[in-house]
Amino acid sequence: MSNNGATARLRDRRRTTGALRMRRGRARTRATALALLLGLVGAGVHAELAAEPTGRVEVLPARFGAHWVWVSDALFERVSLLDLDTGAFLGQVDGGYGVSSLEFGRTRREIYLPAIYYSRGTRGVRTDVVTIYDAHSLAPVDEVVLPPKRAVNPLPMGNAAVSDDGRFLSVFNMSPATSLSIVDLEARKRVGEVDAPGCGLVYATGRRRFAMLCADGSLLDLQLDDGGRVLRKRRTERFFDPERDPVTEKAVRAGDRWIFASFEGVAHVADFSGDEVRFDEAWSLFDDDERAAGWRIGGSQHLALHAATGRLYSAVHQGGADTHKEGGSEVWVYDLATHERVQRIELANTGLTVMGMSLEFGRDWPWPFDGLYGFLLDHVLPVFPVEYIAVTQDAEPILVTATSFSGSLGVYDAVRGELLRRVVSGNMTVQGLAPSPFRGDALAADAQAPPGSAQPARAAAFAMQEER
Amino acid sequence: MTRLDRRMSGLTRWLAKRTSRRGFLGRLGGALVGGATLPLLPIARAAQAREPAPGEPDPATPEGDPTHCDYWRFCSIDGFAASCCGGTATSCPPGTQMSPVTWIGTCRNPHDGKDYIVSYNDCCGKGPCGRCFCHRNEGDKPVYYAAKSNDIGWCFGTAGAVYNSTVSVVIGVATEPG
Repeated sequence: MSNNGATARLRDRRRTTGALRMRRGRARTRATALALLLGLVGAGVHAELAAEPTGRVEVLPARFGAHWVWVSDALFERVSLLDLDTGAFLGQVDGGYGVSSLEFGRTRREIYLPAIYYSRGTRGVRTDVVTIYDAHSLAPVDEVVLPPKRAVNPLPMGNAAVSDDGRFLSVFNMSPATSLSIVDLEARKRVGEVDAPGCGLVYATGRRRFAMLCADGSLLDLQLDDGGRVLRKRRTERFFDPERDPVTEKAVRAGDRWIFASFEGVAHVADFSGDEVRFDEAWSLFDDDERAAGWRIGGSQHLALHAATGRLYSAVHQGGADTHKEGGSEVWVYDLATHERVQRIELANTGLTVMGMSLEFGRDWPWPFDGLYGFLLDHVLPVFPVEYIAVTQDAEPILVTATSFSGSLGVYDAVRGELLRRVVSGNMTVQGLAPSPFRGDALAADAQAPPGSAQPARAAAFAMQEER
Repeated sequence: MTRLDRRMSGLTRWLAKRTSRRGFLGRLGGALVGGATLPLLPIARAAQAREPAPGEPDPATPEGDPTHCDYWRFCSIDGFAASCCGGTATSCPPGTQMSPVTWIGTCRNPHDGKDYIVSYNDCCGKGPCGRCFCHRNEGDKPVYYAAKSNDIGWCFGTAGAVYNSTVSVVIGVATEPG
């Protein structure tokens, strides 16, 4: 029936007049517009989000950014990875009790985290373990259990070190007898322990070589053989006076040399290029006038180095004796070749956070209130001295600063000394800054190998254990 | 339009939108004034400080005030004073364990003018106390100089290495300044 009706209507339409045809023309225009509109709506329907797969987890790129930095937090018991250019939080590695400091693979894209865990949180059975993380996925891929005597202290460096050939990891023990646990990173097992009475901490100084600082003002120079056993262990001459003017533990490495700064600002340089450790002539970070004005080094990580340009960065403040842990109000930059100070960088407040959240406000307010946060930080609120500094190693380096009591970081152009921005790390506190390696393709060959491939059986066992 | 004009017109519009909200401006003013007075507090305190300094003996506290970081026994401490955490200057908070191994400092007692050797034993087995974070470091040495280093977690010989707070026990009179 409807078909017949439609045919009749068609016949009627053929008899329509010109006027009717005009009206019909307008109607057709409207119909076209309606169809277009419907089409658009239809297109809108097609643009709806498609169903998405669940279960996706990001991995980091093969080449890390030049301005990526690891930021330790003792309260969250973790180390966060931040991009200082964008402020992006890229990932994290969780640690155990106390300050977590990462060590990095020299020939493998791996991250090593020595840590202490208690079976009941703050009590129970203690397990000391080096967890091996894949630097691509940031997932744990294996672990090496250590004797339960890893040293506990708040230092962001000196508690572990990877030999230059990437083969052995040394972990500083204190029970309170001092020693090193030696881990074979290739076999992923503990291979021994080196007693080191009267010495502490550990610094990588060569292919299979480590050094420890000793209470009499000397170094313990340690060589390992292919099995991780002691090939040679000897004390150097005394190169500083630990009673009158001890060097801090917060040293920096420039190639074969380690630079230690004393409480009074004297730079002691140990040279490991030869078989015997030699010491350069000590030089002072301060002249007499500066010393008289009370300028001193201080902080928890008060030295940093830009290796390619030989620029040594030192956080300094004005204070009296025993202020070696007080943070800096300025960073003074020295040319390592000439020992001349070449720059002074005034430090700004790193910014305020509570529970990892930024207290920053007013950035989108109109002038002059858009600058209120910066004004309050710079001129009104008490300055939290900068206790941690680090410098990235690229051609356009960043100087990054932090204080223990805020998760906010100060980001400076390390050449010009200008404050570029503040970056909120998400940490509640900061206990160490480590610019990330894995920037270039030097490890490209290793990056091809999937994580755990060196020890497939162990990796499988570890994965099963993790699932339990 | 100059930059200043643009800024001022933006500011005017922004204010116009908010002037009815007196509370907001009041709060902003309060925040500014409050913020400005914050840093004055320690300065004012320092300016008004009379002898003896807080923590030192006075008629009210003849032995000094052990809930204050200026207390004479705390001269080499870098941690939480047990006296603020449920313990006293010489005893640990309930349920913790006192480490038998420690670092030492030499502090002058303003009450008798003598120097005393102070043993800083850590209280262990519970998480950090968080009260009276005293950071004085007088005579403190780096970690490799263990006996005089307050950066070391000294919870040895106890059930666990977890640090809670620190006591300051006099173990003798110093014969020479430390």
